[in-house]
Amino acid sequence: MADDDAPSDSSLLVIVVDTNPNQRYITEDPKLLTGCLDAMIAFANSHLMQKSSNLLAVIGCHFHKSEFLYPSPGKPLDVRQIDGQYELFTLVEKTIKMRLVNLIKSQPQDDKPGESLLAGALAMGLCFISRMRREAAPGIRMSSRILIVTGSSDTAAQYINYMNVFFTAQKQQVLIDVCSLDKHLSLLQQGCDITGGLYLKVPSLEGLLQYLLWVFLPDASERGQLVLPGRGRVDYRAACFCHRELLTIGYVCSVCLSVFCKFSPICTTCHTVFKTGGPLPIKPKKKKMKV
Amino acid sequence: MSESSKSKSSLNLNPSPTLQCKDLHEYLKSRSPQFLETLYNYPTICLAVYRELPELARHFVIRLLFVEQPVPQAVVTSWVSQTYAKEQSKACEALSELSVWQEAPIPGGMPGWMLAQSFKKNLKVALLGGGRPWSMSSSLEPDGKARDIAFLDAYALERWECVLHYMVGSAQTEGISADAVRILLHAGLMTRDADDGSAVITRAGFQFLLLSTAKQVWLFLQHYLHTAEKRSLSAAECLAFLYQLSFSTLGKDYSTEGMSNNMLVFLQHLREFGLVYQRKRKAGRFYPTRLALNIARVRGSAPCAGLVPQPPQQQQGYIVVETNYRVYAYTQTNLQVALLGLFTELIYRFPNLVVGVLTRESVRAALRGGITAQQILHYLNQHSHPQMLNSETGGIRATSVLPPTVVDQIRLWETERNRFTYTEGVVYNHFLSQADFAVLRDYAKSQGVLTWHSERGRTMVVTRAGHDDVKRYWKKHSKS
Repeated sequence: MADDDAPSDSSLLVIVVDTNPNQRYITEDPKLLTGCLDAMIAFANSHLMQKSSNLLAVIGCHFHKSEFLYPSPGKPLDVRQIDGQYELFTLVEKTIKMRLVNLIKSQPQDDKPGESLLAGALAMGLCFISRMRREAAPGIRMSSRILIVTGSSDTAAQYINYMNVFFTAQKQQVLIDVCSLDKHLSLLQQGCDITGGLYLKVPSLEGLLQYLLWVFLPDASERGQLVLPGRGRVDYRAACFCHRELLTIGYVCSVCLSVFCKFSPICTTCHTVFKTGGPLPIKPKKKKMKV
Repeated sequence: MSESSKSKSSLNLNPSPTLQCKDLHEYLKSRSPQFLETLYNYPTICLAVYRELPELARHFVIRLLFVEQPVPQAVVTSWVSQTYAKEQSKACEALSELSVWQEAPIPGGMPGWMLAQSFKKNLKVALLGGGRPWSMSSSLEPDGKARDIAFLDAYALERWECVLHYMVGSAQTEGISADAVRILLHAGLMTRDADDGSAVITRAGFQFLLLSTAKQVWLFLQHYLHTAEKRSLSAAECLAFLYQLSFSTLGKDYSTEGMSNNMLVFLQHLREFGLVYQRKRKAGRFYPTRLALNIARVRGSAPCAGLVPQPPQQQQGYIVVETNYRVYAYTQTNLQVALLGLFTELIYRFPNLVVGVLTRESVRAALRGGITAQQILHYLNQHSHPQMLNSETGGIRATSVLPPTVVDQIRLWETERNRFTYTEGVVYNHFLSQADFAVLRDYAKSQGVLTWHSERGRTMVVTRAGHDDVKRYWKKHSKS
């Protein structure tokens, strides 16, 4: 979808990382989160390493809110080198870890963890991208993409929000990549397909960094040159607006195209009243007039 | 059987050599493998070299970074889709040239690739941490008189313009040391006048002025490094420090603690050119400026966008080029007017605006002076007014912001001067039989030294370099 032939001057990567504590791999072994986070940070730094003009943003997505982990709002941390690592990379690592701790600490204690607010985090990412585009110096080509790293399972509850985000991204020429750590995610896979991004379900968490570097590091313009995993078949079932269930056949409002699993006389989205109530009556055959 | 060889009269091939501006890649390519080996012991250099690599080569390196054994070459080839085989071989070539990877046999007899040990180790250090900190990062007390970015920008600009003004011989000659002059002379950008021994600018010097600031600094420092070895400074150490600076943060202070004496001398030189700011010689802290930061961005001409603050207004473009070959420059400095005057005919001068027109005569005069069309276009592009950058030509984002007619015309004016290409060579003729001719021609062709041949006249021209080889072959052939 994005400008395929012209290599861009700079490339902006927004990583949405799912930190919800009820992801299966975390509940089974909480230490795995540290490993995954380290892999994610190393990947983010490799993106910055590609070109000096590359930009990065990381959004942490929790069940009660989503927050920017990097860049931190306000003045950046004052970081001094402690070892041979490039200063900027140290800054990225420190900022992400510090802000993630804050995010996790701020979670309401008494609530049971719900679903991760991925669609909201994606929308934040899109806003950030459009701000960066506006602020970029004239004459600079910037390609942008969003990478979602999540271990949550697929739910259709945010179906409408997802679709809004996907089509906005498509219009803005932003690629959406998805790296699933646990289950197959058909909804997000649709998003990859719509925006021209890549979808990968990681077979094992041990080699996460290698999977990230191999598949998701290449820029949109470089992807054509490399051999990368194919699209495969995409499950394009829609979720109904009434019960958020995936459907193969359903009812569609003729005015606003909302999908319902059961017939209702009034569309809940646009309040259109359907005149023909119930299943379509079988038209009585017209009797032929005798001549 | 006889064969006669005559040497073609050699012509002066290139009367006015154009200025060579190598990027880091080409600079390193020209150095010895041992030098590279020492360089790869610095994480900063590894990082800089990595960024200079072609796109595909970068991905090869990152994919091999965590592999501890040689990887078959066939596997590396299979990473790239067939249609991009040319890019792929170019990437492999670049990696071999810089000895980033070496050929290593795999226990099955297949040829494989393996990253150079020191490069791999130090790139990992730069990316993931570990190892020793860089020399300038000891902790400091907060500076009571901290300088902000605007101040540093103004300072760097003033220092660098000082050098440029000196070159064009403006009245302002103070503030430039004998060292800087020596480097300018060494680089051939200036030369001693025959009469009074004062330094005057050369043709190469004018071409130097047309480059972007980042390129100017880099070229200047390259020559500095050449002369550095004479002053018992190690070029590797200087280069590593330079790149260390380029990976620092603008507006932050760094400590001079723990730096060797040689490096302190080097730092003083950098201070003179405006690459770093130091309040006092013995201040114990310094601020890198944008000039130093841009060293690593010589290749990508685009300024850094986004989170890094933009350079002040005066550094932005000021030139508007119209399709009628008129050039409007919003400038007051004599330096910029003089530069424009190199290839345009100036017609009006207002307090803040100069109007010129690109004509065949004016451009040809520049071309005669050794300036290339590419340099002219690059200069106009580089300094385009923001208004030009924003305007889109018919909805199509062209590669250049300049009007296509002007770009094409300047290129045409250049090519009309280049209707002849001269190559030195040796003529072989008077072959006794067609078979002899064919044998020698095919041999020369297979060696890649055949410049021209004519079947009917049984004549061929071989390059000077290949002459000895072809002659030897001919002797062996005619004997048997």
